[in-house]
Amino acid sequence: MSVAVELRHITKRFPGVIANKDVSIKVETGTVHALVGENGAGKSTVMKILYGMQRPDSGEILVNGKEVHFKNPNDAIEAGIGMVHQHFMLADNFTVLENIILGSEPKHGATIDFVGARAKVVEMAAQYGLDINPDVLVEELGVGQRQRVEILKVLFRGANILIFDEPTAVLVPQEVDDLFQALEGLRAQGMAVIFISHKLDEVLRVADEVTVVRQGATVAEVKSKDVTARQLAELMVGSELPKPSTLGHTRRDEITLALKDVSIPTATGSRDLLSNITFNLHAGEVVGIAGVEGNGQAELVEAIMGLRDYTGSIEFHGTSIDELSVADRHDLGIGLIPEDRQRQALMMTSPLWENRILGHQRGKPVMRGFVIDKKATIDSTRTIMQEFDVRAPGPDTLAAALSGGNQQKFIVGREMSKAPALLVASHPTRGVDVGAQGAIWDVLRKAREKGMAIVLISADLEELIGMSDRLLVMLRGAITAELDPAKTTPEQLGSAMTGAA
Amino acid sequence: MKAMKILRYATMLVFVLASIRIITGASDLTSSGTASAALLLSVPIVLAALGGLFSERAGVVNIGLEGMMIMGAWAGGYIGSQHGPWAGLFAAMIFGSIGALVHAIATVTFGVDHVVSGVAINIIAAGLVRYLSTLLYQGGSWPGPSQSPGIESISLNGLPVLSGGHYFGWKSPDLLGSIANLNWFFVSDMASILRGLTGDVSYVTVVAICFVPLAYFILWRTAFGLRLRSAGEAPVAAESLGVNVYAMKYAGVLISGGFAGLGGGFLAIVAASNYQENQVAGRGYIGLAALLFGNYRPGGLLAGAGLFGFADALQLRDSAAIHALLLFIVAILAFVAFRKFKAGKQMSAILSIAAAGFTLWFYFAVDELPGQLVTMTPYIATILVMALASQRLRMPAADGIPYRRGGLR
Repeated sequence: MSVAVELRHITKRFPGVIANKDVSIKVETGTVHALVGENGAGKSTVMKILYGMQRPDSGEILVNGKEVHFKNPNDAIEAGIGMVHQHFMLADNFTVLENIILGSEPKHGATIDFVGARAKVVEMAAQYGLDINPDVLVEELGVGQRQRVEILKVLFRGANILIFDEPTAVLVPQEVDDLFQALEGLRAQGMAVIFISHKLDEVLRVADEVTVVRQGATVAEVKSKDVTARQLAELMVGSELPKPSTLGHTRRDEITLALKDVSIPTATGSRDLLSNITFNLHAGEVVGIAGVEGNGQAELVEAIMGLRDYTGSIEFHGTSIDELSVADRHDLGIGLIPEDRQRQALMMTSPLWENRILGHQRGKPVMRGFVIDKKATIDSTRTIMQEFDVRAPGPDTLAAALSGGNQQKFIVGREMSKAPALLVASHPTRGVDVGAQGAIWDVLRKAREKGMAIVLISADLEELIGMSDRLLVMLRGAITAELDPAKTTPEQLGSAMTGAA
Repeated sequence: MKAMKILRYATMLVFVLASIRIITGASDLTSSGTASAALLLSVPIVLAALGGLFSERAGVVNIGLEGMMIMGAWAGGYIGSQHGPWAGLFAAMIFGSIGALVHAIATVTFGVDHVVSGVAINIIAAGLVRYLSTLLYQGGSWPGPSQSPGIESISLNGLPVLSGGHYFGWKSPDLLGSIANLNWFFVSDMASILRGLTGDVSYVTVVAICFVPLAYFILWRTAFGLRLRSAGEAPVAAESLGVNVYAMKYAGVLISGGFAGLGGGFLAIVAASNYQENQVAGRGYIGLAALLFGNYRPGGLLAGAGLFGFADALQLRDSAAIHALLLFIVAILAFVAFRKFKAGKQMSAILSIAAAGFTLWFYFAVDELPGQLVTMTPYIATILVMALASQRLRMPAADGIPYRRGGLR
């Protein structure tokens, strides 16, 4: 086996941050090489350097033994490097075929040779087990199929070194299996695959070798068969790893939230977005809502918060809140961590203290009579930042300047500051680093012990199973199963989510 | 299959018009004169809409089409009156592209809001040509500050055998014309419309109509077209595949200006015989409406422009025919109601029937439409059809969104 790619002592500085101090990686042909590390450890930066999107300040890149200097992705593509992006780079209104050939169209005189291109794509798809219809529009495809289009795009350009940037982040377990089968196929064809991830069980399943980066530097290079997930995790974090788990039962008798036959019809009158959701949530209890995204979880949150009209009834502490506005519900003691922090929870270009006001604009400490009490707001913002370890220069810092983890800790702190009796937490740790994840879990655990009820929605199955007292599975707007997290594995939960079980 | 469907619809349309002609006696509805005028009036709209097509498909909203047409019309008058009509048309394209270049620099390079830049171009273009015309008038070479000297006309021709015309000194028979004169129901109507569309047509019109399939070919069959459209659909994805998005956007906007300028030049050189101020009169905007009506596709924009041209021709030629057109609206509304009813949408079906009933009552209650309303017909028709079609419009996904290189990072 020969070395396909080698990175030697890559360094990259951005204003104020060192993204890569000293990263070295060696990838052999016909292997899957995983690059693991926490968010912010520098994985993505080093791959962007390899793909020509950024240039290193120092260090060398060797492809097939020859030193290369990429100015842009085109140079990298020419050298046989392809990137399967985490956020798909596809035109929805183009067919699969058009997406694949864009930028390197086979010509037939003045026109595109669609016939030849289609034949080539079909042949490639069969060869690597990436089944797809080249003539449908991408907008009609599911996530797993879109990823196949991305892989085919890269292969079409003749890449033999493939970079996968967190490919499983958007997939359900069954789609992950399909992806891993495709990776097997690629390896068997003699490709070099670089697999970026922080999900260690997946890494150990699929990779031959693993390079661990921490704080911008390579800390270890190991064979995957020689290590356990725990060892890898400790290499990654440099210390003990937080786990999603709750201890004992803190459930109290009183019912905090009761939903009865809550439904949301669609405008067109076809299938309901939510149909007959009924459950009780006790104080000190966490109910986990599992489901593939887009099966009604977002609508459930909107119904509970009063953001959307619904039929049926919702009771909070035994009294109906159906007629109450969103602000009234907040004032009653319902807190919300929305699923998209940048669009739904923060004003990105405003300072933190202004963001502190969102959702709390009707009472102490923000208001004094009819005016905003700026000083008290700033003080309370500072308190939140200290209490919840939000790392930022001060309350005047713009929200956009914070890392994802710190933004999320700030949002959690803001909601907890009024000690709500019910917290609706939608993907509370999505896209945050391990440290912030552990901190947020801690906050939720403590609040649960004090009697707060939590509706937890997450795509992270480990988190759901670890944090919940009860699991409800949603499929096409309805609750299709109730599971006991103590007796459920992620695989079982995944099957229940897709309706396979 | 698709061509068959279009043919079927076109035949149905002519049949309905022919029936209304028989009922009302408004012979201009299907006369070859109306068809010929409709074609002449459609061409500038088609060219403007084609301009919009290239620009919007590349992701740049082009409200500035109007201004680019104004610049084209002026250049057509200025150069055309000195160096002949073909040079004038060429100059019109160049001037339109100059306006487009300004738009491209503002929107693509500097990220200015597309609508703001487009409106600015419309205002600047109108002011600039007025200023230049005044200078020429004061210099004594133009007859007035709002019009150019006359331009030599471009000759007309027809299809051999079918619709007259002359080829190398040979005068062809006019088969369609003779059938049209026989006055057979439907057959003669069809023949006279075809005679109007194909006989005594300017060479420029032929070229302009040929641009429609050519635009389809370029945008959907060539690599350049795929890349241009990718800049309007998913510029970041396009960049990640090595497409030069800026170049595609510039190309789209410049081609857009060329088409719009040619449309303006057509107005001065072919539709009239000299440049006159306000000659464009909102046709850039109508072109955009035709483009929207056609769902950002070449065939569709041709239909939209044809509709406007037909209504415009009719109101210019015969206001009694506009009155008869009310029956046509009744027919369309009834058809829409039928479709809605079949689709299970009772409410919209009933509304359509009510509207049809009202129009029918209006037809019988009023003998002659007020002149102002007649002049408005093409605009009303445009609005009505766009509102009624209730089609699923699909604009390019990244249309109008300022794009910065390095979206990948």
